[in-house]
Amino acid sequence: MSKYLFKIILSIIILLPFAVLAVLSLGRNWAFPAVLPAVFTFDNWRVLLLAQSDLSQSLALSLFISIVIATAVTIASFFTSKFISFSPWRRRWLLIAYFPYMFAPVILAACLQYYFLRLGWAGSAGGVMLAQLFIAYPFGVIIFTGFWNERLHNMEQLVATLGGNAWQTYTRVLLPVAKGALLICFFQTFLISWFEYGLTRLIGVGKIQTLTLKVFQYVNEANVFYAALASILLAVPPIVLLWLNKRYVFVNFN
Amino acid sequence: MWLEINNLHKKFGAEPVLGDLSFRLAERQMLSILGRSGCGKTTLLKIIAGLETPDAGVIKIAGKVINNVSAHRRNIVYIYQEPLLFPHLNVFENVAFGLRLRKIQNPTIESKVLEMLEALELNEQARKMPHQLSGGQRQRVAFGRALIISPQMLLLDEPFGALDTETRAVMQVLLKKIMQTHPITAIFVTHDLKEAIIMGDAIGMMEKGKLDIYPDKKTFIEHNEHVKNEINFWQNL
Repeated sequence: MSKYLFKIILSIIILLPFAVLAVLSLGRNWAFPAVLPAVFTFDNWRVLLLAQSDLSQSLALSLFISIVIATAVTIASFFTSKFISFSPWRRRWLLIAYFPYMFAPVILAACLQYYFLRLGWAGSAGGVMLAQLFIAYPFGVIIFTGFWNERLHNMEQLVATLGGNAWQTYTRVLLPVAKGALLICFFQTFLISWFEYGLTRLIGVGKIQTLTLKVFQYVNEANVFYAALASILLAVPPIVLLWLNKRYVFVNFN
Repeated sequence: MWLEINNLHKKFGAEPVLGDLSFRLAERQMLSILGRSGCGKTTLLKIIAGLETPDAGVIKIAGKVINNVSAHRRNIVYIYQEPLLFPHLNVFENVAFGLRLRKIQNPTIESKVLEMLEALELNEQARKMPHQLSGGQRQRVAFGRALIISPQMLLLDEPFGALDTETRAVMQVLLKKIMQTHPITAIFVTHDLKEAIIMGDAIGMMEKGKLDIYPDKKTFIEHNEHVKNEINFWQNL
């Protein structure tokens, strides 16, 4: 019984902020000392349907940037980590991979901003994506270095002696075996990009308005209804990814 | 001779692993190679399989030099101490793996795999995943996966090294039986003297990158002090 009660309390604690955000996203005209907004309407949500609205453009831009980053990093770090794992200079390469995490992302962004401004890459989606790679790419490499080991190397050689060429080795063995690690890398780097603030703000120089930046903008403007709506949108991908993780990744560990 | 290894040299950095190694092996013979860890046995097998390149030397099979033939075209299967079953495939698919690579028709694959599973006494396990098998069963699947493609040569690198004594003895008998029904030229590397004598038609002793081959068990026993001591120990017990 106490376990059941604990689960209910825990669920309330987790879900309450989302419930408050949902209520706020539907609200209009909320003046002190009213407990709830005076009007509840779907008008705030309707702006998402307008292609020209700031919020829908930020949502689309964020999705685009995060999907591109996650896909590119997952593919690149899979192969890079293999090279690093079997390199005689493995420790040296890994040290370089950890290097970007010695600073806060904002400090890293401040260092990078100078070069991006000089090269004319600041203020563009491409520039922001390139800057985000400085954090996401090493992270992907670090995720995969635990995956490559002597056993997998032997398995790769075994496939060759069984008659498999490089393509068959990847498609029939390495990629299926790496499925869990690939999904984890994709999800993690998607989330890194999705919630990235410091780098995106400094390299984007205000021109690249991702959803995360939009939330901060609405909060600064004291526009609680749009801030709540943007926050809900911001929380949707992590919830979907958590569900997918539970459904497709951790199922392998049961 | 069917397999000819001539003046093989291999160094890792400054350390010589194989030094001027030469030997011959007749077709459908199994050569047992005994030797301590680090004497170069695995390197020799990997060079023959095409997984390592020699610094110098020639490898010939049936008179053809295979030095420049890549591993996946040699049709020489390397069996590791660990069975290395593919964790995402069940027993049937693990055994069928090499046939699928060769794009063999499904009905042929089905009949060949079932026949192999029968020979390996694994027909009850066909749909099981590797983690559901015992150590001995996994190694049997690994043999089936190797033998089903009819390789021209089998390289066995301490294949029973990770098994308990009882399972090891069962596996030795089973492998001997399979090798009689599927006669393939093979090199069997082991630390175990008894296993080398049971498995090999010829026996080799490897030390410091050099290999001495004894054409039969009698010659091997006569020329090897360690073996004589071992036999005396058991006789005087």
